[in-house]
Amino acid sequence: MVKKKLNPLHIDYRRGIIENCLQQVTNNAGTDDPHLINVWTVDISCQNSRQFVEFIRMKVQDEDPTTFQHIKRIKKSKAEGFLTVIVCSTLMIDNEAEFLTLMECAPFSFHSTSRSSVVPAVGPSTKDLSLKWSNIYWPLVWRGNPNDQVLNDYVFDLPFIKRILSEISKQARNRIGERSGGLPVVSAFVNPKTKEVFYSSDARSSTSPLDHSIMRGITSVATLELERKSSPNARLQDETYLCLNFDVYTTHEPCSMCAMALIHSRIKRCIFLKRMENTGCLDCGSGDSYCMHSHRSLNSKYEVFRWLGEDYPVPQIDSNICC
Amino acid sequence: MSNDGQPCQCVSARSSAITMGLDLHVNYMRMATKLARYALDHDETPVACIFVHTPTDQVLAYGMNDTNRSLSGVAHAEFMGIAQIQEKFGAQNTAIFKDVTLYVTVEPCIMCASALKQLGIQKVVFGCGNERFGGNGSILSIHRDSCTVPQNKHELIPGVLRKEAIMLLRYFYVRENERSPKPRAKANRKLDVSVFPPMNWGLYLTRSEFEEIFGASKIEYFDKSLDLSTHVDWSLIDCNQDIFFQNLKVECELFSLQVAKKPKPQTISS
Repeated sequence: MVKKKLNPLHIDYRRGIIENCLQQVTNNAGTDDPHLINVWTVDISCQNSRQFVEFIRMKVQDEDPTTFQHIKRIKKSKAEGFLTVIVCSTLMIDNEAEFLTLMECAPFSFHSTSRSSVVPAVGPSTKDLSLKWSNIYWPLVWRGNPNDQVLNDYVFDLPFIKRILSEISKQARNRIGERSGGLPVVSAFVNPKTKEVFYSSDARSSTSPLDHSIMRGITSVATLELERKSSPNARLQDETYLCLNFDVYTTHEPCSMCAMALIHSRIKRCIFLKRMENTGCLDCGSGDSYCMHSHRSLNSKYEVFRWLGEDYPVPQIDSNICC
Repeated sequence: MSNDGQPCQCVSARSSAITMGLDLHVNYMRMATKLARYALDHDETPVACIFVHTPTDQVLAYGMNDTNRSLSGVAHAEFMGIAQIQEKFGAQNTAIFKDVTLYVTVEPCIMCASALKQLGIQKVVFGCGNERFGGNGSILSIHRDSCTVPQNKHELIPGVLRKEAIMLLRYFYVRENERSPKPRAKANRKLDVSVFPPMNWGLYLTRSEFEEIFGASKIEYFDKSLDLSTHVDWSLIDCNQDIFFQNLKVECELFSLQVAKKPKPQTISS
């Protein structure tokens, strides 16, 4: 993590563009929608705040799917000398019996157990809204637009990215007019440990109609891993789990099947060249605006960027076709 | 009801057709559930499916999760069954899927729902919802979206043997937790055999779609978020299903033999 000022990359924070060429693709339509979640709260004595913080660290933090970094866990209770504290989200524990079992090991006494308080799932993008939400729902912490930090934390090897994009663009154009058994759509999977690159291309009219370039890429990474594991001198440090932390480059924005397959495969990042207006499932403006990689209900996520400009042309594909 | 207090013929015919249809679905779902038990016993996630050729009412393929063995995150049960069908009819023959009903213990994930729609499947019947990744209503409704081959539509029948599907997943989570190096607190993971979350039918069907499928007499199940069945058929999920699996494989092989005979009638006379 670097300070914003020290970041060597030029970032347009307002528009989410890095080095004038990579457009961050995210579900910004919903950023200022609080997406409220219910939390379990109890009242404790003011003297127990330290024990409470310790208890949260030991028993709750690692288990709770919700993060509370943008929220003050502790606020004054209506009763003098008491605090109302957030123990955990109802996503972590849904029923009261389970909650009370968790609280059995709390090193402090408590009362007024409730699951009726709501908090925003993520912090808002502006300070004004942060104040507003603090008044309506629960006190928040303002640390700037959360997305600025997200943008600032991305790491890019631009020469490498350009080399891969240039290669998939070239391979896709070479497939035009060839009897290639599929559409001119090409993807590249980059192993995070070895930086090895696996290229895959669409084969829907030869093998299976479901053999889109991304599905084939995922399958070939798995096949290679199976082969590697069965070899007598397989080394543990080379092991890959699914496509964990892979970067995936693709010529055309993925369809609903492929966008979800990338979630199942646990990739880190996807960079695509051409938006698919009707069938794409990553860009907010494509298809049904799924923004699959940053969909709130899908707990696994990946980063997505679209390359801006015309440096890497790709073959035109009918906008109703799933890529 | 007609004037003499008897149900009119059209109503009774309609309701008996519904009952027969549902019995059929339950029968095939029983097979899918047994197969999911088999998967659990063979170190996989207990999610399984059966593909039925609707016009001839025969099982033509099956699938179980294969992510552990294949090391691929996309080797879901549905894809295994699709591959079997493609092997029988040719991978480019998507017309066959117009005549195929899928029975799967858990709602297809978004990826599988999309794959099934792209192939043009006729009907999808499932047990419980998939609250993390469901693509037929729980998270997204791929089957009726406009970005995934909108001209392909398929019918959806949720909630068949739902409790059995949920129980199998609970067995799995309890086992995984016991094996985990850092098991979660016992209370979090105690096996519950009697309480089931309410069935939110509205995620998958409109009220009138529900009535169309299950009959007007069952509409209270929709309104009160009730399961179709009050009891759990433990025999499906608590027994070893190795023999069932052997028979299922044979049944699928037989289907392909019958189809192979059709284009070559001369082999019958010789």
